[in-house]
Amino acid sequence: MMKSDYIFIAGKRDEKRISSRVLEDLIHQHVKRGNRKLEVQAFGQHGIGGRLWESYPDRMDIRIIGHSGQRTGSLGTPNTKIEIMGPASDDIGWLNAGAEIIVHGSASNGAMNGAAQGKVYVGGAIGARGMTMTKRNPRFEPPELWVLGTAGDYFGEFMAGGIAVICGLNAANPEQVLGYKPLVGMVGGKVFFRGDAKSYSDKDAKEVDIDDQEWEWLTQGLKTFLKKIQQPKLINELAVRRDWRLFEAKNPQEKAEGPERKSMSWFREQVWDMELGRGGLIGDLQETEKGTVPVITKGEYRRYIPVWEHGKYISPCQSACPTGIPVQQRWAMIRTDNIDEAISMGLEYSPFPATVCGHLCPSPCMASCTRNLSYMSPINVRLLGQAAQNIKPPKPAKTSGKKVAVIGGGPGGLSVAWQLTMKGHTATVFEAGQTIAGKISAVIPESRIPADTLNAEIERIKSYIKDIRLGEKVDAEKFNEIKKSHDYVVVAAGGNKPRSLPIKGAERALFANDFLEKAKANRIKPGKKVVIIGAGNVGCDVATEAHRLGAVDITLIDVQKPAAFGKEREDAEKCGAQFRWPVFTKEINSQGVKLESGELLPANTVVISIGDVPDLSFLGEGLELERGFVKVDETGRSSDEKVFAIGDAVGPGLITNAIGAGRRTAIAIDQLLKGQAPDVGRLAPMIDTRRVNLTYYNPRHDADTLESCSEDCASCGNCKDCGICVAVCPEGAISRQEKATGFEYVVDESKCIGCGFCKGACPCGVWELIPNTPLA
Amino acid sequence: MSSNRSLEPSSLSLNDLPWQIEYNNDRCTLCGQCTAVCPVQAIALHPFQKRIVKTSVSKNAEHSNAYDTFYGIRQDTRVENACIGCAMCTMVCPNDAIRPRKNPGLDRMKFHINQHGIPRRRGGRRNDSGSILDRIKFTRISMLTDPALDAGRHEFEMRTLLGRVLPPRENMKQLREKGWIPPVREIYPLIIGGMSFGALSPTMWEGLQMGVAYLNEEMGMPVRICTGEGGCPPRLLRSRFLKYVILQIASGYFGWDEIIHAIPHMKEDPCAIEIKYGQGAKPGDGGLLMWHKVNKLIAAIRGVPQGVSLPSPPTHQTQYSIEESVAKMILSMSMAWGFRVPVYPKISASSTSLAVMNNLTRNEYAAGLAIDGEDGGTGAAYAVSMDHMGHPIASCVRDNYLNLTAIGKQNEVPIFAGGGVGKNGNIAANAAALIMLGASGIQIGKYVMQAAAGCVGTEEDRCNVCNLGICPKGITSQDPRLYRRLDPEDVAQRIVDIYVSFDTQLKKIVAPLGRSTSLPIGMSDALGIDDKNIADRLSIKYVV
Repeated sequence: MMKSDYIFIAGKRDEKRISSRVLEDLIHQHVKRGNRKLEVQAFGQHGIGGRLWESYPDRMDIRIIGHSGQRTGSLGTPNTKIEIMGPASDDIGWLNAGAEIIVHGSASNGAMNGAAQGKVYVGGAIGARGMTMTKRNPRFEPPELWVLGTAGDYFGEFMAGGIAVICGLNAANPEQVLGYKPLVGMVGGKVFFRGDAKSYSDKDAKEVDIDDQEWEWLTQGLKTFLKKIQQPKLINELAVRRDWRLFEAKNPQEKAEGPERKSMSWFREQVWDMELGRGGLIGDLQETEKGTVPVITKGEYRRYIPVWEHGKYISPCQSACPTGIPVQQRWAMIRTDNIDEAISMGLEYSPFPATVCGHLCPSPCMASCTRNLSYMSPINVRLLGQAAQNIKPPKPAKTSGKKVAVIGGGPGGLSVAWQLTMKGHTATVFEAGQTIAGKISAVIPESRIPADTLNAEIERIKSYIKDIRLGEKVDAEKFNEIKKSHDYVVVAAGGNKPRSLPIKGAERALFANDFLEKAKANRIKPGKKVVIIGAGNVGCDVATEAHRLGAVDITLIDVQKPAAFGKEREDAEKCGAQFRWPVFTKEINSQGVKLESGELLPANTVVISIGDVPDLSFLGEGLELERGFVKVDETGRSSDEKVFAIGDAVGPGLITNAIGAGRRTAIAIDQLLKGQAPDVGRLAPMIDTRRVNLTYYNPRHDADTLESCSEDCASCGNCKDCGICVAVCPEGAISRQEKATGFEYVVDESKCIGCGFCKGACPCGVWELIPNTPLA
Repeated sequence: MSSNRSLEPSSLSLNDLPWQIEYNNDRCTLCGQCTAVCPVQAIALHPFQKRIVKTSVSKNAEHSNAYDTFYGIRQDTRVENACIGCAMCTMVCPNDAIRPRKNPGLDRMKFHINQHGIPRRRGGRRNDSGSILDRIKFTRISMLTDPALDAGRHEFEMRTLLGRVLPPRENMKQLREKGWIPPVREIYPLIIGGMSFGALSPTMWEGLQMGVAYLNEEMGMPVRICTGEGGCPPRLLRSRFLKYVILQIASGYFGWDEIIHAIPHMKEDPCAIEIKYGQGAKPGDGGLLMWHKVNKLIAAIRGVPQGVSLPSPPTHQTQYSIEESVAKMILSMSMAWGFRVPVYPKISASSTSLAVMNNLTRNEYAAGLAIDGEDGGTGAAYAVSMDHMGHPIASCVRDNYLNLTAIGKQNEVPIFAGGGVGKNGNIAANAAALIMLGASGIQIGKYVMQAAAGCVGTEEDRCNVCNLGICPKGITSQDPRLYRRLDPEDVAQRIVDIYVSFDTQLKKIVAPLGRSTSLPIGMSDALGIDDKNIADRLSIKYVV
């Protein structure tokens, strides 16, 4: 017990320690009685000296002798001063709200934990977790912890405010005066210390310079501190500015930056590549540029590149044309005002552009027109043919002196002769009949081909092919003669022998060609009832002619679904012709046609119209045949090198097939005559019509003039030169360039991103997007 | 293309496709970026026709009929061009005008994807977001009952052991009597599982390795990465970084002659050797690296000529029984490094895995067992294998661990579990659950691709074209146009981010359990699940 004006409170009664609760009660009774200075003899009681607000506004002085317990001065109030005359236990100044606490010795763990105000002066060292979770309330002065010695481990954890001063005197480990791993989670406050503080949390705290104002504060504070702990003489040892350091909390922005780590690019350069070698992991195997490429790339880094495939594929119309006329090119010519050229082009491919293309041909070109896919009217190619009726062909090439014989003056034979004549060779046509153009002139009704058209074209042909010998029947002997006297012979004798039926009474019937020939010359009267066996297009022609000549009850019968189509069928139907199928003929008698079913179809005239076969007896034995037709290769050449064959002599087909075959054979013969290997060439593959965009066309529009047809033509696979690609390209990478051979659309690969917009927008399907060449 | 067409059985409409492009013509600026970036050419510019009809009932009024053309983006409906939902179009669109939407109904593509008789193959995942691991909760929170730990403050040693861990007494006995004890590595418990150089692009592979090296050398985290089958770049074999690498040998044995040639020049032993017997994504199936992917680089690393197809058969030849497989392979691989390197097999999770485990316990050279669950990823597999074959990882790990416990060898043969860890992004929780079910470590693959390289794959059949070499992120492509989209440094940095954040998360899970210096392997009393049957099956608590 010290002599003073302090009132003594014993922590023992009857030699027994009183409980913390009872001691607390005692202290409060004194405070209530107005006692303001208390000396407490402690025996480890909890929380002595805190919570003394009952004395407000008076100050309280508490002096503790003996063993102060845990949390001395906890929840301390600003009016309180506590002086512990020896060491302090755990959590000295816990949750301090303003009390001043002086410890004349060391304090164990948790000093100042959770404090928000007040000051704790420790005249020794402190244990672990001092100054943890302290904070500063802006309404009050910050809490302060002054420690003469060192701090224990995990000092300042989650420190959110306040000031700690650790003098580090007599440090056992001068490298860690703040103990192991101090300041983890620190978000506020300052820590002044003397000595070193290895292992502090650099994620949370940073060292800063002590400025003059702070140094002034520190030196003043030290004087006060040393006075409080009764060691004023230490001031000279402690107040050496260079010995002091200061930690502050990093601010949130600094924390967000994270701890200072080496950058990955530093690591790559200085560690990774250093150990592995230049270029890193695979630098020895492959040269790779560093850095990335963007997702949208240009130049060689594009994954796909556009290609202008103008003319790479042929249009469906050209592909479908047996004569091989590049139909679509002609529309292109019309679009560029070369109308005459477009029309006369027909003569380069056929001697009968008006007759066949314009009238007789079933026009596979139109049937295959891409526009049909969207139920739009096909481009009317017949107009082009018809326009060629009165045009003049180009001048034939210079005469070569070579002689080619053509057996047969039908469309196929004339096609060969025409082409050879144009190439300067002399073609001699041997025609058994009295007219040329074969079935066109002899058999096909005038309703299907205006006489003036046919005559005009026949005259044109005659004016170019000088040597046409009519009435020249060729037999085996004559054939050999011709073969000897000519460089080549082309057999174009046609299918001049009608096919018949192996039935009773077949001889009572007429063959279609005979009927049509007589009908055309008005030399036959078929009667009211006509039955036509074979319901193809020729059968339809028979029906139409029979009707013209007075028949009223016309029946076409067939064993299968009638093959007739197009205008021929329409015309026959207009004449009231009935189609019946499947029916099987048993016999032909005087009353008409008797069917296997027993039914009789009464007829004044019965016509057999089941096709023709060639009569090739004149060829002799030397030539290889196949099922009654001449066997030929793709140039039309037969097993005899000097002999070619085309048209119905080779196999049944349309007139246009015969004309096309004639043209190809003429090309082959021309090549042979020039000493070249025969090569009729191959057409490019047909375009995939899905590439063509019909969206640009008015589906209700039916073009009916050459000009409007040329506009509505989708120009499948061939550039229409519309420039839509140039307009649509988002990068302005496409430009149109003039070339000696025409124009070209060119991609600037330094601008193109490979988006394929050109392909998507192209009306003609000319643009394609292909994978770029693989990069090594 | 005409909209009028004849139908074929596999003619599909937009409505039938698994992914549908939502496109807003009003916002589109027609810049071409979406079509340029689309990996499968699912979209293209298309001209559209607009018909404007103007009519009037007035007798003398003229009706008019005009056609206009406008442009927009159109989705292709052909099976081979079907949108894969990668959303690269959305990524590049400057105007947010386009994005793929998952067909909310049943897409009919499934019924038509087998064109030409070839069943669907894909890369990626099982496309099933269900996850038992996600449902497991850590219910033992021992803040007061055990020493309170703070994940942010306390020091943790998140390490595991790879190797045969014998009890100390037995270890000493072995050393004394045999002069040899099994090699054991102390490593980080989250391992980057085997993804081959070839399956992954060079930039991805280098990025992963670089990140792992950084973690080891700059962060002090002993993270390990497995090469997958297909060899290892010669420079890596001869570098100190080999220490961080687990070399894989699989049924194709590709690249192993190069490894043998490198052994005399190795500065460090590899971390371990993994013998791959199976893969969770395609149990019982092999692989085939198509000839067109075997470019100069891949050829050099695998030690083969360029442009040949490289088959990895479903089985190892010359191994006809489990005893033989395990004994022969483990012994051979152990010998290669003088018994200094742990050697362990990797199998696909299976109801037969216990047989393998039992066998390993009797093989003193067996360093562990890696088990890959059904949710494991792959570069290429038949969809039927991915979708319907395999065994969930949770119960497989649990069975094996409890079996070890029954014979008193728990943790002696460490189990490494993989397959679907983090498939919904919950990497640390999934890993911790498996550890507490009995795994000593975790292998991850798909998570790494997603988190470190931005793989767009999700569990809803998005993208999944790893097998085609057209990976839009350049992760699984050998095409420099694609793989140069990826910067190895960025991948490496993400690897560091992933591990550092995983570490924090793992600590957040184990700290309240009172664990800081040893992983809670098999600490199943910490686990609970809200399903009685699952709880019973896994021998964990049923909590509601």
